[in-house]
Amino acid sequence: MDIQAYISSGKLELFVLGDLNETEQQEVLSLAKKYPEIQQEIEDIEAAMFAFDTASGSEPSNAVKNKIFASLDAERETETSPKELEEKEVRLYPAANPWKPFAVAASLTAVLAIGAAAYFGYRYYEAEERVLLALEQNATLADNLQRTQVRLDQLDADTKQLLSGNFDRVPMKGEGLPMQEDARVDVFWDRESSEVFLSVNQLAELDENSDYQLWAIGEDGPVGIGLVNPAEKLNLQAMQAAGEVQAFAITIEPKGGSESPTLEKLVVLGEVS
Amino acid sequence: MEEQDLIKGLQASDRQVQEYLYEKYSRALYGVIRRIIFDQELAEEVFHDAFLKITKKIGSYDETKGRLYTWMANICRNAAIDKTRSREFSESSKTNTIDDYVYGMESESGTASAVDGIGVRELMEDLNEEQRLVMECIYFKGYTHTEVAEAHAIPLGTVKSRVRSALQVLKKKADKI
Repeated sequence: MDIQAYISSGKLELFVLGDLNETEQQEVLSLAKKYPEIQQEIEDIEAAMFAFDTASGSEPSNAVKNKIFASLDAERETETSPKELEEKEVRLYPAANPWKPFAVAASLTAVLAIGAAAYFGYRYYEAEERVLLALEQNATLADNLQRTQVRLDQLDADTKQLLSGNFDRVPMKGEGLPMQEDARVDVFWDRESSEVFLSVNQLAELDENSDYQLWAIGEDGPVGIGLVNPAEKLNLQAMQAAGEVQAFAITIEPKGGSESPTLEKLVVLGEVS
Repeated sequence: MEEQDLIKGLQASDRQVQEYLYEKYSRALYGVIRRIIFDQELAEEVFHDAFLKITKKIGSYDETKGRLYTWMANICRNAAIDKTRSREFSESSKTNTIDDYVYGMESESGTASAVDGIGVRELMEDLNEEQRLVMECIYFKGYTHTEVAEAHAIPLGTVKSRVRSALQVLKKKADKI
């Protein structure tokens, strides 16, 4: 570059007078580092200005000189560091803090964010509750379905059993007996396969220490072939097999059943035709 | 005293160094202010504040960016310009606009009579009219070269080269003093 042309441009004078923008100042400073002629010229201009200002200037009055040194002495005496002064100022005039608007905005944002978080948190909680409820209902439905399926399978099996076998229906009644006049229970018996089923039509509930027991009465006397559930009405209850039977009877026995029937507690009786 | 020792002493608030600074630079610095503010009382008030500012802000002086005097002169020039823009100034004295300096040194509002000592008039007598105008506006009053170029319809490059040539003349003159 043409250093002489740069020097004669007048830019260095403006630099010394502080009349250049930041970019131009940086340019001059970096060129001055690079070219000693430019650095020298700057120093010459500074020296010339100082000489001119000194020559053309005038002494300030003694009054102002005394005032200046009184101020400087006072500052030395207070021994308060500028930093502490600044901190005091900040505390005295908090409104002057330039970050205040940002702090206010940040606080506002935080409050709004907390509000939003609480709202959505509640919504989430609600949704969670509903999902749990739905899952519970779903499980109940599945359970019901399962039970229905089991019952359907059982009915299906019962029907097949009845249709495929050769069952005789043996109605047992409580008429004429002292226990339950209105008791009615049907026994389905296949003579060939010896299979026995039972269906309760009407039978009173028992206390928890007693059970109804079904007896198959043949030539060798009564044989217990199973306990009867009085609550399971009009439903086939599978009993143990019975070969030669002349009559079926139900007695009330102690819990779990007995070896031989308690005849005083005979509830129903049906003879095989 | 070397400039570096001077700066160290100022940073330590050394009273003797502050006095040395005052003795060496007060005349030139006060001159810078007085060229902008004609009123003596007001100029001294600005000088008082500017001198205290210099001793306080000495920590921010960067010697890679120029001599100590240049830094101090710019503080004084800016303090004076700030004062002329204040309400106090417009109430206490006539505010000179840049157009007042079209007439140069001979105008009533000029600086010739504002300072004593050798006198600006003598120092400026070797300058031509054009050089005087840019010196008055930029060097003395602190207007920017772009303001002067606009106010007087002079190309920017011409303003710069006139500042350059005027200072060359003053440099020679100052060397003789």
